[in-house]
Amino acid sequence: MATVEAVATKGPVLEVSGITRRFGDRLAVDDVSFSIPPGEIYGLLGPNGAGKTTTIKMICGLLQADSGTVRVAGHQAGTLAAKAVVGYVPQDVALYPDLTGRENLQFLGRLFGLSGGVLDERVDEALELSDLADRAGEHLSSYSGGMQRRLNIAAGLLNHPVLLVLDEPTVGVDPQSRHAILERVQSFGQLGMAVVYTTHYMEEAERVCDRVGIIDQGRLVAEGTRRELVDRLGERDRIDLGASGDIERWAEACRALDGVDGAAVADHQVQLLVHEGRKLLPAVLEAAERTGVQVSSVDVVEPDLEAVFLHLTGTALRE
Amino acid sequence: MHPALAIAAKDVRQRIRDRSAIVLGIVAPLVIAALMSLAFRGAETIHLTVGVVNSDHGAAAAGLLSALRSPGLKDLVTVVPEPSEGSASAAVHAGRAGAAIIIPSGFTNSVSRSRPLPLTTLTNVNNTVAAQITSSIAQSFVAQVNADRLSVATASAAGEPSGSAAAALDKAHLSLPIRTVQSALGAKRLKTISYYGPSMAIFFLLFTISFTARSFFVERDQGNIERMLAAPLRPRSVLLGKVLSAFVFGIVSLSIIAAVTTFAFGADWGNPLAAGLLSLAMVLAVTATTALVIGVAHTQRQAEGISSFAVFGLALLGGNFVFVSVTPPIMQRLALLTPNGWALRGYTDLATTGGGLAIVGLPIAAILVYTLVVATAASVLAPRALTP
Repeated sequence: MATVEAVATKGPVLEVSGITRRFGDRLAVDDVSFSIPPGEIYGLLGPNGAGKTTTIKMICGLLQADSGTVRVAGHQAGTLAAKAVVGYVPQDVALYPDLTGRENLQFLGRLFGLSGGVLDERVDEALELSDLADRAGEHLSSYSGGMQRRLNIAAGLLNHPVLLVLDEPTVGVDPQSRHAILERVQSFGQLGMAVVYTTHYMEEAERVCDRVGIIDQGRLVAEGTRRELVDRLGERDRIDLGASGDIERWAEACRALDGVDGAAVADHQVQLLVHEGRKLLPAVLEAAERTGVQVSSVDVVEPDLEAVFLHLTGTALRE
Repeated sequence: MHPALAIAAKDVRQRIRDRSAIVLGIVAPLVIAALMSLAFRGAETIHLTVGVVNSDHGAAAAGLLSALRSPGLKDLVTVVPEPSEGSASAAVHAGRAGAAIIIPSGFTNSVSRSRPLPLTTLTNVNNTVAAQITSSIAQSFVAQVNADRLSVATASAAGEPSGSAAAALDKAHLSLPIRTVQSALGAKRLKTISYYGPSMAIFFLLFTISFTARSFFVERDQGNIERMLAAPLRPRSVLLGKVLSAFVFGIVSLSIIAAVTTFAFGADWGNPLAAGLLSLAMVLAVTATTALVIGVAHTQRQAEGISSFAVFGLALLGGNFVFVSVTPPIMQRLALLTPNGWALRGYTDLATTGGGLAIVGLPIAAILVYTLVVATAASVLAPRALTP
């Protein structure tokens, strides 16, 4: 099992201070700051295009920040010293189909300066971790999607990083593999590794992360533990309503109702953030009738990060 | 292991596994070189049969026949007497003779008159080489006869005792200029395979540009380059690794083709050390061009387009498809702007002169100048390809 290399970090493993990055006129990341101590799994939660990937690319030294600083284990991000202690797991499987699982790991290990017995040890360790030791000699092209994902993650551990950065590692993964991946990520924190985990799945962030930073339109709008974030909602409830028809118009009508703090449309659903949800339901259904919308399902949900996101940004996480 | 070496080793491993690379880098050049050699085999030992209809039987006709049978043309021409123009025409038409020369009756006597009779050559459009050579011999003979006529006329005008025209022509010792005989520049004749072996090896070596540039952009699109850049290495190491793999593949490909064409087809690559250094310089030029294509292109498609243009442009200009020596002068000058043009010149010189390093000094220097210019441009442009 992977262990964390001894690094003299009494303070945070990762310190992000006021980083900003533009692409032309578009402000992709706007004055984002956060820090992560050893052993903590920090989730960056936000919809697609919120700035998560740009942020982690700056952490991994793949992009320069226009302003602000990123320090990893005391080293400025992008330096060879910083890169040596970061494990990066990209969103897509960045491995070679025409190489075997072992060859892929050996190649990536060599890029981290590993060789000889140490390289062999690390490769075996990564293969064990991904449950692929018995298929190490097969070409990656013969692996299932889930197996490739597991190896993609294991490859990020070859250098025994103090900071592991995972960019939406479960996108396009079947539920079983997703479960396995999330279990592994949880174990990394227990090993003392600091982990940055980006996702737009609220359930993943709730399940895996010790703390969550909510990012929207390049800004970190809130961060804290799940409890701390949900407490921001106060007594509010979230109501998910499945419907057909002009649900945008219905959502607009709901926003005008007393007791509705926010309404957003996502995946043929209207999400409402309300005070005393059960009392407000008749008025919501009346608005549906008024706007000609057919309601197919009503679900009053316990306060969660999705509701927090709606509360903070006025939009749904998966909009 | 240096990261660039790890990247190069990985690329070489992938390329060896990719059968298309083996086909393109080794099998195709060998097959094409063998086919080219077979197709142009006759070109290296031209010999033709010329039918001659001698209706004159005078001194001038004897002079022409003597010239055609002279030691200088012995290896090139076999003279076959034909009784009439009709039989000569039939022989040319049937391919029994490459061409024919008709010496008209009274030709010798007409030489001393103001209106000499013309020689006629019969040629076949399907045998242009024989036609050109025969016409060239006939024209050379006529030119010399004219020169002799002028000499005789000048001597008569100066008061020299005049004899018969035939005697004057005898005195002139009619012979054909040696220049009418095709000969190699060097001491040895260039075998076709000795040209097309290196030529095809270089042509397919140029495809390394396309292959490597394309693979770079595929890896970039699939996130592999980004993953490499997340490791503790300098970005230039990634580029270095990629072009290093092109270098290794190029060297291996050229070496195998040189060995096979030499031992299986009898190609002459010349002095091994000189040929090796020339090959090394050529592979360096290809490597630098690869880096430049990566620097200039923004996408995989652009890389494919630019590299195809580079491959076929260099091959056409450099003479990989035809002997540069038979192309117009402008093309011969353009060939010297290309590294492959210089390389082919070097290989040809090595094969025909039997010389060593001194022979390829200039070609190697020219290729290295090209490499330096291209590598400088690539070092400015290529790092851009690594920026997300």
